[in-house]
Amino acid sequence: MARRERVASTRRAFTARGTALGTAQPLALPVGVPGVRGPSPPGAPPPDLPPPLESLFDTAPESWLALQGVAVADLERLAQLAIGFSPRVSLEPDAVLLEVRGSFRLFGGARALCAQVLARCREAGLAPRWSLAPTPLAALALSRAGRGVAVLARDRLVGALAPLPIAVLGWPPAALARLESIGVRTLGAAQRLPRAGFARRFGPAAMADLDRLTGLCPEPRRAHVPRERFRARCDPAFEADTAAVVLREVEPLLVEFEEFLRSRQCGVDLLMLRLSHRARDAQHGRAAIPPHTQLDLRLAASEHRAAAFAALLTEHLARTVLPAPVIRLELRSGRLRPVVAGSAALWRPGEHGGGLARESPALIERLRARLGHDAVYGLCLVPQHRPEAAWRVAEPALPSASRVTATPAHPGSVRRPLWLLREPAPLPWPFTALQRLEGPERLETGWWDGLDIARDYYIACEPSGAEVWVYRERLAPHAWWLHGVFG
Amino acid sequence: MRMNSADGIPQGTPPTGLDGLLMHPAIWRGRSLAPIDTHATGCARLDEALPGRGWPATGLTEILTRRPGLGELRLLVPWLVALGRTQPPRWVSWISPPFEPYAPALVAEGVPAERQLVIRTDRPLWALEQTLDSGACCLALAWPDAGAPQGRSRVRPRDLRRLQLITQRHRAPAFLFRPLEAAGEASPAELRMSFEPQPSGARLQLLKSRGGRREPFELRWDEWPRSGSRGDDMRQEPTHGAP
Repeated sequence: MARRERVASTRRAFTARGTALGTAQPLALPVGVPGVRGPSPPGAPPPDLPPPLESLFDTAPESWLALQGVAVADLERLAQLAIGFSPRVSLEPDAVLLEVRGSFRLFGGARALCAQVLARCREAGLAPRWSLAPTPLAALALSRAGRGVAVLARDRLVGALAPLPIAVLGWPPAALARLESIGVRTLGAAQRLPRAGFARRFGPAAMADLDRLTGLCPEPRRAHVPRERFRARCDPAFEADTAAVVLREVEPLLVEFEEFLRSRQCGVDLLMLRLSHRARDAQHGRAAIPPHTQLDLRLAASEHRAAAFAALLTEHLARTVLPAPVIRLELRSGRLRPVVAGSAALWRPGEHGGGLARESPALIERLRARLGHDAVYGLCLVPQHRPEAAWRVAEPALPSASRVTATPAHPGSVRRPLWLLREPAPLPWPFTALQRLEGPERLETGWWDGLDIARDYYIACEPSGAEVWVYRERLAPHAWWLHGVFG
Repeated sequence: MRMNSADGIPQGTPPTGLDGLLMHPAIWRGRSLAPIDTHATGCARLDEALPGRGWPATGLTEILTRRPGLGELRLLVPWLVALGRTQPPRWVSWISPPFEPYAPALVAEGVPAERQLVIRTDRPLWALEQTLDSGACCLALAWPDAGAPQGRSRVRPRDLRRLQLITQRHRAPAFLFRPLEAAGEASPAELRMSFEPQPSGARLQLLKSRGGRREPFELRWDEWPRSGSRGDDMRQEPTHGAP
C-alpha cells in the first residue's frame, strides 16, 4: 500500500520511464531509493477525487488541467512543478494550464494524475483549485467556478459547463450586465441563444469565446519555457590551494559555459563561483574555516566569452584570500540575456576616432575587478542648491552618440569651483590672510532631509595666489571653512 | 588632429624630398621643428608659447605644481569642453584626483558630466595604463603622487617611459599632475611645465619641450576664454585626418 501514496514528481522520473510504457502493467519501481519517485500504478485512484465524466463513444484529443487560485508570485513555481507532468504547460494571468492527455497512461489515468498533481502541489505548499476539461477555456471556467471535476469527453462538457455563472469567462462588466438584463445568467443559457443575434449584440469576440469553450473553435496556447541557468561543478583531483590552480580547474567549466551560452545566443551579466573548503570549526586555538568562499562576478554588459570571464576571475581571485584548500568548485550563472552581436571596428580603439562600443564596459569591469566596485564612478548633476547635494556619484554610462549633451545649467550666473572638498575643512590659513574677490553668496536651508545649512560663501584669494571657495557659518561660533578650490 | 609646425612653415605646399620626410611627426631631431599633433589651448598667446601651438594630442604632458588645486585644471577646461562634443562619446578619466571634480562647475563650463570617469585607487599608474590601453578614453588626467609622503614622488622614470610608449601607441594624450619636487627627475614626457599661481593669473615655466623652448609665460585669466561660451571660438577638430 505504500506505493499508492507515491507521487510522480520529477521530470527525471517522467523521462526515464517514458520509453517503457507499452504495457498497462504496474511499473517496477526502485524501492527505498530516496528522491526517485515513480508514477502510481494504474487503477488506484485516490478516493477523495470524484470519478471523471467519461463517455463510451467519445474521447477528446486533448485534456487540459487548469490549476488556479494561487498567488501570482507562485504561478511560475506552479508551472515549474507542472512541467514534471506534461511538456505542454502554459502560463495564464491567473492560472497554469497543462495538457495531460498524453500523460494519462504513465500516471495511471486521469484521476490518479490529478491526485498526484495535487499531492505534489500540497508538498510545495500550494493549494490550487483544479479542473480537467477537453478545452483550455473550459478548464479555466470550471476551475474559476471552483468545480473540481474531470471532464474527459466532449459530449459531457456542455452539460458540465451549463450551470456555471457567465461571469467565469471574465467578460467586461457592461456585457455581463446586458446579459443579466435579458435573463442570461449561466453559460448554458448563453449557449442556447441564437448565434447570429448573440454575435451581433455582444460582438464576435464573445461568440468566439463560447466556441472555444466547447471546442468548436481551436485554441492554441503559448508554451511556457522555464528559465534557464547554467550550473556546473567540478571536484579537482587535488586540493587546489592557490588562485592559479583554481583558475586552471575553472577554465574547462568556463569553456563549457561559453558553449552553453553560444548555443542559446545569450550572455550573462552575473556569474557566481563557489569554492568549497573542508569546513572546520574553531578549536585548539585555530580559526574556523568557512565552508565556502563565494565570488560574484558582475559585468557591466552581458558577456559570453570564456576568455573574458577568465580574465575577470583572475582579478577577483588575486584579491581573494583562500582560507583553506578548495575541494570543490561550482559555477552558476545569473539570468541569461540575449546577446546582440556587433561587428568589430576596423581601426583599433582610439585610432582615427575608432568606435568603442565594447571597450568602454570592458574597461570599467577590469578596473572594478581590481579596485573594487565603488572605486570607479561617474558624475551626475542633481538640481539642488546646496553645494554638497548638487552632484552625486553615478553609475558610469556613456550617453548614446545621438544624444545632445552638455548644456550649461546656468551659464555665468554664479561661479562654482572645479574642485569640491568631500568634507569642508577648517581654513588652513588665518582668516585675515585671505583676500575677498566675490561674495557673500548666501546658501541656506535643507530642513526636509535634516542637512540644514546656513552659510555665506566667498570666493577668496589665498596667500599664494590661488582662488578658493570658503564659507562662514551663520550660526555661532561663525567658523570659517574651506569648501572648494578653483583648480 | 591639426598639424602645426613650431616655426610657422607655410602650410600651403608640403616640402618634398628629405625635408618632407623629416617633417613626419614620428621623427624628432633634437631642436628640430617637426610638426606635432596638438590641440589648441583656447588662448592664442599660450598657443604661441607652446611647441606646436597647443597641448600635445599624443603623449605625456606633466604639469608640476606646489600642491594640487592652484588653478592648473583651468588650463584644460577648453579642451574638456571640446572633447565633450566629439562623436562617438568617450571617457575623460580622472585618476586619483586630489578632490572631487565638482559636476555643477564642470557643467557650467560646458563640460558634460556624464563623460567623466573618476577612478579612486592607490595604484594610479596601473589604472592610467588600463584606461590608455582600452581606447575608451580620449583624455586621461592623473595625479600619480597622491598619497605619497611630502616631497617624494611615487613615480619612477621607468614607469613614465612605459606610459609614454603606451600613449604613443594609442595616440592618446595623458596629463600627469605632479609635485614641483619632481622637476629634478628625468622624464620622457613630451611637455613638462611648472605652474605657479599669481594674482589673477599664473606663471608657466616650460621645463621640457620639443624644440627646446624654455621661456616663462605669464598667463592672465582675463584673456582666458569665458566660461559657458568657451569652445565656440575654438578651431573645430576633425574626426579623421591624422597623418
